[in-house]
Amino acid sequence: MPEYTVATAVAVVAVVAVELLWARTGIFRTAQYWITMAIVFFFQVLVDGWLTKLSDPIVRYAPAQFAGIRFPLDIPIEDFGFGFALVTGTIIAWQLAGRKETA
Amino acid sequence: MPAEYLLLMLACVAITLPLEFVLGARVYRRPRRLVLAVLPLLVIFYVWDAVAIARGHWDYSPAHTTGWLLPFAVPIEEVVFFIVIPLCGLLTFEAVGRMLGKRSDASAASSSSEPSPRSRNVPSLPEFREQERVPGAKDGGTGVGDA
Repeated sequence: MPEYTVATAVAVVAVVAVELLWARTGIFRTAQYWITMAIVFFFQVLVDGWLTKLSDPIVRYAPAQFAGIRFPLDIPIEDFGFGFALVTGTIIAWQLAGRKETA
Repeated sequence: MPAEYLLLMLACVAITLPLEFVLGARVYRRPRRLVLAVLPLLVIFYVWDAVAIARGHWDYSPAHTTGWLLPFAVPIEEVVFFIVIPLCGLLTFEAVGRMLGKRSDASAASSSSEPSPRSRNVPSLPEFREQERVPGAKDGGTGVGDA
């Protein structure tokens, strides 16, 4: 399996595991989080679509290192796992930092 | 244009500014908490990026990047990305939280939507709710998240 595909799967599982087994901020049970992710997804398509557009890309992916599926636009689908892990991880850390500061 | 990637990031910052200063997300105004949220992911994703670049997963168009490289050949644009995108995510998260809070209580103080230091010690109603909505919260925090 392509390495970027594997790395993305590992990152998504790791972030979910960190939340459920350790951080336990409860974000997955809130509308606030899921609405946020829907909005983030929409804007990721615009920004990531610009970064990855095959006509004039800023970031250029090695075809052998990802699954080869570019959707929507020219975005490698792995990027959505990458984005999910980055933004979800940040929100978890934000919630933990807020908890710490109020303790 | 060598600044294209950086300009795209600048556009992300600009387009999300109203979340802070109109909708009252109060992310920039909690700088300590912001650093604590962004820094760990920045480190992890920097390592990921460095490995991916070294192993040839992706590279960057010389025509659209400055060419300024940090250790392990990571373009400076990537560090900006790992700060800007999480920042946009947090602004969205906090703005959505405020909208949800406001929906059920129109009397929520609107003064905190201004960049005013006086709101620092006055937690607004939606922030109390935010804490209550989190079942996993281990302490009885007040919801005051100020740095």
